[in-house]
Amino acid sequence: MIPIKYTYRNLFERRGVAFMTLASIGFVVLVYIGVLALAGGLRAAFADTGDPSVVIVMRDGTRAEMESSYAQESHRLLTAMPGVERTADGAVMASGETVTIQIFKRIDGTETNVMVRGVEPGAFALRPGFEITEGRVFEPGRGEIVVGRSLAGRLGLRVGDERELGRNTFRVVGTFAGVGAHGSEIWGDYRDLGDSFRRSGFYSSTRLQAASPAAASDLIETVKADQRLHVQALTEPEYYELQSETSSGQFIVLGNVLAVLMAIGACFAAANTMYAQVAARAREIGTLRALGFKRRSIMGSFFLEAVLLGVVAGGFGALLSLPLNAIQTGTMNQVTFSEITFQLRTTPFALFSGIFLATVTGVLGGLLPAFGASRQKITDLLREA
Amino acid sequence: MIKLIRRNLLRNKRRTFLTMASLAMALFILSLLGVVNDALSFADESDFQDRLVVRNAISLTFPLPEAYEQRLRTIDNVIAVTPQNWFQGVYKDQRPENFFPRFTVDPETFRSVFYDYAWNEEEYEAFAAQRTAFAAGRELTEIQGWSIGDIITIKGDIFPVDVELQLRAIFEFDEPGQERQIFFHRRYVEEAMGNPGQNGTYWLRLDDPEGAPAVIAAAEAMFENSDNQVRAETAEAFAASFTEMLGNIQFFFSMIGLAIVISIFLITANTMAMAARERTTEVSVLRTLGFRRNQVLGMVIGESLAVGVLGSALGLGFTAVAIRGATPFLEQMGFGFGGFALDAQVLVTAVTIGISVGLLSGVFPAVAAARLKIVDGLRRL
Repeated sequence: MIPIKYTYRNLFERRGVAFMTLASIGFVVLVYIGVLALAGGLRAAFADTGDPSVVIVMRDGTRAEMESSYAQESHRLLTAMPGVERTADGAVMASGETVTIQIFKRIDGTETNVMVRGVEPGAFALRPGFEITEGRVFEPGRGEIVVGRSLAGRLGLRVGDERELGRNTFRVVGTFAGVGAHGSEIWGDYRDLGDSFRRSGFYSSTRLQAASPAAASDLIETVKADQRLHVQALTEPEYYELQSETSSGQFIVLGNVLAVLMAIGACFAAANTMYAQVAARAREIGTLRALGFKRRSIMGSFFLEAVLLGVVAGGFGALLSLPLNAIQTGTMNQVTFSEITFQLRTTPFALFSGIFLATVTGVLGGLLPAFGASRQKITDLLREA
Repeated sequence: MIKLIRRNLLRNKRRTFLTMASLAMALFILSLLGVVNDALSFADESDFQDRLVVRNAISLTFPLPEAYEQRLRTIDNVIAVTPQNWFQGVYKDQRPENFFPRFTVDPETFRSVFYDYAWNEEEYEAFAAQRTAFAAGRELTEIQGWSIGDIITIKGDIFPVDVELQLRAIFEFDEPGQERQIFFHRRYVEEAMGNPGQNGTYWLRLDDPEGAPAVIAAAEAMFENSDNQVRAETAEAFAASFTEMLGNIQFFFSMIGLAIVISIFLITANTMAMAARERTTEVSVLRTLGFRRNQVLGMVIGESLAVGVLGSALGLGFTAVAIRGATPFLEQMGFGFGGFALDAQVLVTAVTIGISVGLLSGVFPAVAAARLKIVDGLRRL
C-alpha cells in the first residue's frame, strides 16, 4: 500500500496545476450551491407561513387570495361554522381579509407588484408569530399601515413615510416580521383599505382557527359541504405549499440541470489534470513499481488523489458559497404575481450536495487516468525518463 | 506553422479532446442559460413602437370602465383602441403544460391594433361571428392537438365563470411564443358576469410613434380626476414591467454565467500551461533551428485559439440541438411563455467568450515559452 502521505504530498508538490483544477471544480460547486440557495431561500420564505390548524377559505376555483372575492354574507356564515375556536373571552377566532395588489417602485427604481392586506383585529390572534420590529401597529380609521420588514427594505419604505394606496394616502407607522411570507406584504385596517380600494363589503379570504390539524380537516369538510357557499377551503400550509413549489421548483430543476452539465465539464478538467499528473510522474510510477508496489496500489493512490482533489474542491466551493447567505433579495411569486422577498440560504443539504457533486467529479475524472497509470509497463515508464 | 499547430493539437489527442469538451460544455451551459434568460424576460421583441397600453394605475388587478375605450379614441394621434383582458382560468389542470395565456378581446376592433397576426379571413369571420368561439395560435393547437371545431372548457378563477369555447380560427405569428395563447370574446365573459362593464387593459395604436409621449400624457391626464386613474405606457415598457417583477433573478443568472466563464478559463488555461510546459525543450529546439520568438508565441497562441474556436463550435452545436430537444422539458419547468430560440446576441456572446478564453489562456504559456532562454530550455532535458 502506498502511504496516503504520498497522495497529498503530490497534490501539494504540483500545487499550481492542482489549485487550478481545485478552483474550477470549486466554481462549479459554487454555482450549484448558489442556485440551490435561491430555491432554499424561496422555500424558507414560505415555510414558516401558516399553521396546519388554520383553514383558509377562498372563492371556489381561485388559486390565490387576491383573485378571490365574496360578499360579507358568506364570511358571516363561515365564522359561524361549528369547529371554529374561540378566544378566552369568547370571540370567534376568524379573520376576514381583503387582499389587493398595487404597483410599487423598488429601491433600485424597478417596479413590482406588492400585496396589500386589509385585516380585522382578529387577524393577529391567528398569527401568534406576528411581531412589530419597529414603530407600532396601525390603528383602524386613521389611514395607517405597517410594512413587512424585508419588504420595507426592498421598497425603501421607512416609518413615517406616506404612500398612496388606492385612492387614499396612508402613513407607515411600523414594520413587522415573524409571519413568514406575510413579511412581503403591507398590512392595514380592513375598512381603511377596503374603502380606499373600493372593496368594502367584500372579502378575499377568511381564516378560521381550528383546535388541531385533525379538527381543521373536519372543518374543511363542513365548509365544503355547505351548499350556500361557493368556496374552497384548505389549510394554510397547503395554500403556501403551492406557491412555494411553483416559485422554487424551477430553480431546483435548473440547479440540477446546471450541476449535471457543469459537473460533466469539470470531469473533463479533472481527467485532464490527472492525466497530466500521471504523465509527469511516469518515472516515479516506474520507480514505485520497481520497488514492488502493486499495480492496484498505484491505481488506488492516483484514484485517491483525484477523490481528494474533488473533496477539497467541494469544500472550497462550499466555503466560497457561504457569503451568499447574507444576500437579501426578492422575486415574483409565480402564483400571486407579486413580490416575495427572501434571503438566500445555503442549507446543509445544499452544501452537502455541492461537496458530493465535487467528489463524484473527482471520482469520475480520476478513474481512467488512475487505471491508465497502473497499466503501463515498468520498462516503458523508466525509459521515458 | 499551421502544420505545427495542427500536429501539436493532435499529439495529445486525449488532452485536446478533454479541453475542448470542457470548453464546449461550458459554452453549452452558458448559451442555454442565455436562452432561458431570454425566455424569462417577457420582452416584446416585436417592438411595435406604435402601440400603447393603458391600465389602472393601482395595478393590473383593478379594471377600467368600458366607457374609457371611446374616450381614449378621441386622443389625437390614436387611430385605434381595443380592449384586452387576462382571463387566466384553468384548462384541465394546474400542470404547467396546460398553462397558456388566455385573453378576452373584442374581435371587432382586435385586428385594428394587433395587425401583426396572420389569419385566414374565413376563419377570422367565423371567430368574430360566434360569441363562444376562440382563436388559438398554430403552435398551441399542435401542442394540444386541437383542430377547428373542437370544444374546450376553461374554469374561471379571476372571473368566476366557466367558459365553453369552440375553436374557430388558428392564427400565426413570426415568433413561436406568440402562438401559444388563445383569444376569445370579452362579451361572452361580460354577459356571464352580469355585464359589469369592465376591461383590464386598452391597447392603442398610434398614427405616429414619435407622438407616444404626448399620447401617454394625454391619456393619464384625461382620467386624472376620475375614480379610476390610468397608467399609459408603450407596449415595450409594459412587457418590461413583467421582467422587472422577476427582480434580481436575471442578475443571478449573469453571476452564474460569470462563474462558469471563470471556471472554463481556469480549465483551459491550465491545460494550455501543461501543454506548453511539456514542450519547453521542444520550443528551445525550434528556437535553435532558427524559429523566432514571435513564431513560437504565435504557435502556442494559435493552438489555444484553435481549441477555443473548435470548442465554441461544438458547444453551440450542442445548444442548437438541445433547444429542439429540451423545449418541451423547459416548458414543463414553467420557464417563460416566450418560446426558446438561440438569438444572435447569445450566439455572439458565447462565441466571443469561447474564443477569448482560448486566446487568453494561451497568452501566458506562450509568453513564457517565447521568453525562455534557449540554454535554459535545453538544459531541462
